Amino acid sequence: EGLKCCLSEFQKQLAWVERLDVTLGQVADPISQSASDKDAVDPENDFQREMSFYRQAQAAVLEALPKLRKLQVPTRRPDDYFAEMAKSDQQMQKIRKKLKSKQEAMEKSEKAKQLRAMRKYGKKVQTEILQRRQKEKKNMLNAVKKYQKGLSDKLDFLDEDQTLSQGNKKGNANQRIKKGPNAKRRYKNQKFGFGGKKKGSKWNTKESFNDVSSFQSKVAHNKGPRKAGKGGKKALNKRPGKRARQKMKSRAR
Amino acid sequence: GKWKNKERVLIFSSRGINFRTRHLMQDLRTLMPHSKADTKMDRKDQLFVINEVCEMKNCNKCIFFEAKKKQDLYLWLSNTPQGPSAKFLVQNVHTLAELKMTGNCLRGSRPLLSFDPAFDKEPHYALLKELFIQIFSTPQYHPKSQPFVDHVFTFTITDERIWFRNYQIIEEDASLVEIGPRFVLNLIKIFQGSFGGPTLYENPHYQSPNMHRRMIRLSVAAKFREKQQVKEVQMIKKKESKVLVGEDPTEVVFETPAEEKPVEIQLVKPESKPIVKDKKKPRKIQRKKQKKLFRTE
Repeated sequence: EGLKCCLSEFQKQLAWVERLDVTLGQVADPISQSASDKDAVDPENDFQREMSFYRQAQAAVLEALPKLRKLQVPTRRPDDYFAEMAKSDQQMQKIRKKLKSKQEAMEKSEKAKQLRAMRKYGKKVQTEILQRRQKEKKNMLNAVKKYQKGLSDKLDFLDEDQTLSQGNKKGNANQRIKKGPNAKRRYKNQKFGFGGKKKGSKWNTKESFNDVSSFQSKVAHNKGPRKAGKGGKKALNKRPGKRARQKMKSRAR
Repeated sequence: GKWKNKERVLIFSSRGINFRTRHLMQDLRTLMPHSKADTKMDRKDQLFVINEVCEMKNCNKCIFFEAKKKQDLYLWLSNTPQGPSAKFLVQNVHTLAELKMTGNCLRGSRPLLSFDPAFDKEPHYALLKELFIQIFSTPQYHPKSQPFVDHVFTFTITDERIWFRNYQIIEEDASLVEIGPRFVLNLIKIFQGSFGGPTLYENPHYQSPNMHRRMIRLSVAAKFREKQQVKEVQMIKKKESKVLVGEDPTEVVFETPAEEKPVEIQLVKPESKPIVKDKKKPRKIQRKKQKKLFRTE
């Protein structure tokens, strides 16, 4: 031990500027649990170890730079100072290329992941959109058919984004006559449309009996303006009622 | 200014080094402008010949790489005329040329040396610290040096070894990037003289690489031998004569013999039972279809 002490004194005593050595612990890290306890650093844990070295270097730099500035030793290289570097430019190019390629690979994989996620989501969205489009088409066609059948004389369906339910509710008096469970009938109409369900259209039900929508008084009393053709049509259109016919019969006899 | 601190370091190696060591040597030569190179030394010559080589080259420090068995790398650091010298085992060598080391520094710029506080605690570490300072710090106003200080060497003691790193100082707020070679030194011995002389310190934690390899082989062999022994013990157990357990008189207590059935001899084949179709169980064909559907789903 004593020999060691003597020998260490045997070493040179130089000004700090010559040696530029700093003996310091690490920069106090707010993240690390034990700032001063270096033994906590597990040498097997590569990241922790390297970080401890890094922090030690940082501490040394932070202490030494002010000292150097005082001694007027330059630490920053001016921009126009060109000198040979420890690594050649070629080497630095290689390094830059490698870093770039790494970053690009990462970005690619990220994009691929996103694409995969998007595709799943996109498929769902696509099906929804298709369904919506089909619904709109159906509604449009229904509205057109209704107009054709004379049930609604409004051309509102040409304006986009008008819901069918609105049309039903605000509908003409003609439509209101549809008694019974309106919601159910409306739903069935919507589902099967006009030109769809035909089987149940000519039932002699209370609704159809009470339905006088197809009664046109001018036609019945032969009062309205004739549309086309006289003569032959008159006899066909105007068939007298039962009592009138009986009277005619009895009178004829 | 005038160059006063006349330090010259001779960096060379023995024969039989591999490419990584050669690159490390070259890296050290580029990083230290106060270094001189020399040809490879023959293994035949004794180590103290190195002192004469240093004197011829007018160097007062020496870094000597010695490779043994094409596997192990030893490093000698010495102060050549009379001073102390130290022998290390070098591990985990990474050179300047590795693409993960992204920093760069001026060739010949002076380094800042950063030491672990543990270097001041033990006398042998203090001696090593002094040695490192004298060898690795570039003298001020050296003709080949650049006046800037833009990189820092760190020496840290972890796991009873000395870890060396070289960082580039980018910003004044101490953001660093690793440049340079990195290696781990495992101290073996410190001698009083240069490449010889009485031993001042011997590292108790040091295990020579041969011993290390031997330990590994022994552990593997020990495992195998243990397995063998266990097998042998099992064989012996099997071969042992089995102990006969005496008859238990109370065993008969729980025996209740069943009634004897009359012996029936069937001469006529029994009627075959009518096959009742289990309609709940799906037929074979249907079951096959179900299986197919299940598989395609």
